[in-house]
Amino acid sequence: MTAFEPKIVAFLCNWCAYAGADLAGVSRFQYPASIRTVRVMCSGRVDPLFVVQALQRGADGVLVAG
Amino acid sequence: MSSAEAQRFVDIVKTVTESIVQQGPFDAGAYPLALRAAEMTLNSEVVRWLAGKEVRITRRGDVYGRSWETERLEKVMDDVLEREYQKNLIYLAIGEGAVSVREISAATGLALMRVSYLLTDLEKTNRVEFKGMHDRKPVFGVL
Repeated sequence: MTAFEPKIVAFLCNWCAYAGADLAGVSRFQYPASIRTVRVMCSGRVDPLFVVQALQRGADGVLVAG
Repeated sequence: MSSAEAQRFVDIVKTVTESIVQQGPFDAGAYPLALRAAEMTLNSEVVRWLAGKEVRITRRGDVYGRSWETERLEKVMDDVLEREYQKNLIYLAIGEGAVSVREISAATGLALMRVSYLLTDLEKTNRVEFKGMHDRKPVFGVL
């Protein structure tokens, strides 16, 4: 059996974390392919409900970055 | 983080991934009641209202002109969240067929006293009704 590859839903702020992720891509930094990015206009837009619903629908973890 | 912190982003993704790998896969099917109750709680009117009024209450005071420290309001919010969550757990447990206080307590893990206390609240707000006595035990149903 292969190693456990988690599914992590990442809510990234358009102005900081998302831009940081973009830069990481442009700079060709290596990072795990476990995250599924959802771009939000502000991390304040993330409703706690999103976290619960992500877990209900099969995510192993949730990351909110701003 | 700032938009220039690509390395920091990479580090955070690595740390979070490692932590999730250590915790293992999350099986949502193992916590059907808890997740549904959490969802109902976060969606409830009382929690949404309270969260929406937080800045107003801490900056300008409540409708009686009393001022609130952020910590004190947060304590109240924690209590409300806990209470609403437990009420929703009970509501869901009754829907799943745990109709007596003892059965509800076993299904939710809440103490008997707490269950009967919260049941009164659920009855008052017309979410749960007293169905009658069954085998000398009071039984409840959802509305």
